[in-house]
Amino acid sequence: MLNIVVCVKPVPDPSIADKLKIDPITKSLPRLDIPLVINPLDSHALEAAIQLKKEYGAYITVLCMGPPSAGNIVRECLALGADKGILLTDPAFAGADAFATAYTLAKTIEKNGPVDVVFCGMASSDGATEWVGPEIATFLNLPVVTMVREIVKDQGDEWIVKADYEHGYRKVKLKLPAVITVTRNINQPKSLSFSGILKARGKEITEWNREKLGIPAERVGLRGSPTYVTEITHLESRRKVEILEGSLREKIERLVQILSDAGVA
Amino acid sequence: MIDFTFTEEQELFRKAAREFAETKIAPHVPTMEATNRGWDEVVKELAEAEMFAVTIPEEYGGLGMGYVARLIALEEIARVSVATAMMYQVFGLGIEAFIKFGTEEQKKKFLPKFASGERLATVAVTEPSGGSDPKGIRTTYKKVNGVYVLNGRKCFITNSHIADAQVVLAVDEDNPDAFTTFIVEKGVEGFKPTHEEHKVGMRGCNTGEIEMKNVTVAAENVIGGEGKGLKVAMAAIGDVGRGGMVGCALGLQQACLDASIKFSNERILYGKPISNLQAIQFKIAEMKIDLEAGRLLGYRAAAMQDKGERSSNEFAVAKYYTTEAAQKAAKMAVDIHGGYGCMEEFPVTRYLRDSFVLGPSAGTSDIMMVIISRWALS
Amino acid sequence: METKSATVFVIAEQGEGGIQPVSLQLVGKARQLADELGSKVGAVLLGQNLTKGAHELIAAGADIVFQGDSDLLVPYQAELFTEIIVKLLVEHHPEILLIGSTFMGRELAPLIAAKLETGLTAHCIDLVISSEGILEQKIPAYGGMITIVCPEKRPQMATVANGVFSNPALNTTRSGEIISIDVPNEFPLRVQTLEIVKEKSEGVYLESASVIVAGGAGAGDHDGWCQIAELAEVLNAGLGSTRPAVDAGWTKLETMIGQSGKMVSPEVYIGIGISGELQHMVGIVRAKVMIAINNDAKAPVFEQVDYGVVEDCRVFVPALVKALKNKESYIGRATHVI
Repeated sequence: MLNIVVCVKPVPDPSIADKLKIDPITKSLPRLDIPLVINPLDSHALEAAIQLKKEYGAYITVLCMGPPSAGNIVRECLALGADKGILLTDPAFAGADAFATAYTLAKTIEKNGPVDVVFCGMASSDGATEWVGPEIATFLNLPVVTMVREIVKDQGDEWIVKADYEHGYRKVKLKLPAVITVTRNINQPKSLSFSGILKARGKEITEWNREKLGIPAERVGLRGSPTYVTEITHLESRRKVEILEGSLREKIERLVQILSDAGVA
Repeated sequence: MIDFTFTEEQELFRKAAREFAETKIAPHVPTMEATNRGWDEVVKELAEAEMFAVTIPEEYGGLGMGYVARLIALEEIARVSVATAMMYQVFGLGIEAFIKFGTEEQKKKFLPKFASGERLATVAVTEPSGGSDPKGIRTTYKKVNGVYVLNGRKCFITNSHIADAQVVLAVDEDNPDAFTTFIVEKGVEGFKPTHEEHKVGMRGCNTGEIEMKNVTVAAENVIGGEGKGLKVAMAAIGDVGRGGMVGCALGLQQACLDASIKFSNERILYGKPISNLQAIQFKIAEMKIDLEAGRLLGYRAAAMQDKGERSSNEFAVAKYYTTEAAQKAAKMAVDIHGGYGCMEEFPVTRYLRDSFVLGPSAGTSDIMMVIISRWALS
Repeated sequence: METKSATVFVIAEQGEGGIQPVSLQLVGKARQLADELGSKVGAVLLGQNLTKGAHELIAAGADIVFQGDSDLLVPYQAELFTEIIVKLLVEHHPEILLIGSTFMGRELAPLIAAKLETGLTAHCIDLVISSEGILEQKIPAYGGMITIVCPEKRPQMATVANGVFSNPALNTTRSGEIISIDVPNEFPLRVQTLEIVKEKSEGVYLESASVIVAGGAGAGDHDGWCQIAELAEVLNAGLGSTRPAVDAGWTKLETMIGQSGKMVSPEVYIGIGISGELQHMVGIVRAKVMIAINNDAKAPVFEQVDYGVVEDCRVFVPALVKALKNKESYIGRATHVI
């Protein structure tokens, strides 16, 4: 029976967050209540774990670092098929960069118990550093493969995976326990089901804070982050925009003319 | 203290229902609109998504999720396809008759199969001679040698051609005051769906007539007890039927609002999106107000139902309010779209047509007013 | 060489065709940063047959090339590379470490950063030395730019994509040192690259395309995407995308233009159904003419282009394709120039 940990990041709903802009006058972000959702690539990570569970049997623990409201993200993961959820929440965790985040998650995995595979999405929609997976691996002294698109051999403790690489992919042999970060091509996540949601009622969600993890304050959150943001600036655009006018036909004619003048049509 | 928020679990139900409607039902809508067919596909999807199990108790193979959950599911499905929501809600009416009035044998025999979608239920009350006035029906039954023989015809029955276990209301041939509901199963001799309706809206929702010519029904297929038929019919159509229409209406209103917001943000007139114009803003505000109010009315009644309290009056109010509001919303949405509101490729034209069918279903607005005035004056 | 910190190191990468362009671009940038700091540039090159590559790095601006030449280093092996590089960095204490965001770089950078317990900024679009002498790492976000610093830990690490910085002039008269570093004879690997497989790459390489047609969420569905792809074909343009289009499955990740995708500099860029989010727009490093087609008049893209068309792309694009095909002087197969 595999012990699997899936790291899930709560992110502002990308379909709404992508529209967020810095106010050019106040130079700050407008405060919007964008609902938190499961980072899209982490859904693929969770699905990879669930498929292994269906095939071979596994105990899936979901880790999620976020504000208390991220508890519904954990519950959703349980409804999708995870067995246990840990919500890492503490004001001390705020402001964490990838390093501090990875450290906190790694310590949690350590404290949680033995693990065979740690799955993460390869990147988050709101940070997209792609680093938390490899950094967790380093802190836990585990091998890691990033950008995995297919698990070719998943039995025993030596797996074979395919990972995206320049103009193609690389075939990688991996000794468990290990960390695997996945791309969206690895699978198609299943949707929530009503019975899954009901089954989640009986599953455990615990909340851990810094004290429970036993990590010193200077290693988490902003304090534990080697990097931090010093400035947010609004970018002025230097292009003069001409919005084409007229009927559909007139706009098409004008655009064809523009393309022709530019030498491409 | 009243808590008007949904629980985390209910939010997850909504999320699951929304994803289901958007990914599994939406692709079928164009076919349903164009051909007035396609119900088999969506019924299959509903079954696979465990939709039929929502109100069926766990001990009979259901999920026992309750009526608030049902309303959430209906709202989300109606937002994408009112036709599908309508069929789904009426399947629920049939199921309700069994849950409330079925004997243990009937429950054990039918409910698990309803839950999985293997069998489909519906309720058949309305006839040319009476819908709002169920006592005016002319389908009769006669007890002959321990079995019952039914004769008659029902019209405007949702799922007439697809339901294979129909709860039919009939009047005693010899006693105009005695009504009984019977489970009439497909394949029984003399029973057949006949004419199919072509409705102005909710295309792809199966509506039609059924005919019974000397249909023999065994005593074990009487549901609710002989002579208790009106109670069964009214309970099914009452709370659950009205509640179902609330779901259909709320979903349609949300769709109208979403389409209006999208269009008014994109349509440029006088150099700016028309969402900048007060006339448009006020229409959108009206839709929003009705939606907020309708939701509160609907979920209040459903919450009472979940607690086991009597909720028919509250549902009458909700049904009246939301179905009327949906018709207004659809017209406003079409108006906001201007000329485009008459073009079939814009979904608002479908919303307008769908809205017409909301009113007379599960009791007309006038009947709702009769019930509500009775409640107020009592 | 003196191991005074303030040196700027670059992890260079050699592919089949020689040193990767991004490595040369970063050495060029490192040269500029090092000059500001009054320091030197060190490049690290691991692989086989490295002599030509090492000289190229010097010509691009490196003062020293640390080369590890061994058959164990081809193909890339995360643990061995990390071990060798970390040892080197601990010995030389560079102030700054730059890595190209190639597939190798994106995996190696965090492994190094975590081992050295230092900070790392991904997909930078600019690097500037502040008045206090620290590296300001700039990334796009929220329609603007964010500056990140790593004030205490060393080295300050950043990954940068190909095309962000321009190709440096190669000065073959430049002199520099080439130092061989020790590579173990054997090394136990828990994760081992067995082979690298090339896949047929469809279409025009975006980094060298002179015309790019990029599609986004506004394509609506697969059919809408195909219309955009047809326009690209008619214009013999590279077909690019934004993240939503990749997430929707209409196109592969390798067509994505943006901060965490490809950086491009076409003559003409046409963005269709793209709202103009900065993560994508910064991928267009330089473009002569920029055009956007989007049905939302309020989309931010319309503030960032030369010509805007407010139309439903599902209607406009097929009509445009038709008009282009019917055009008398339609050039069928123009070649592209860099």
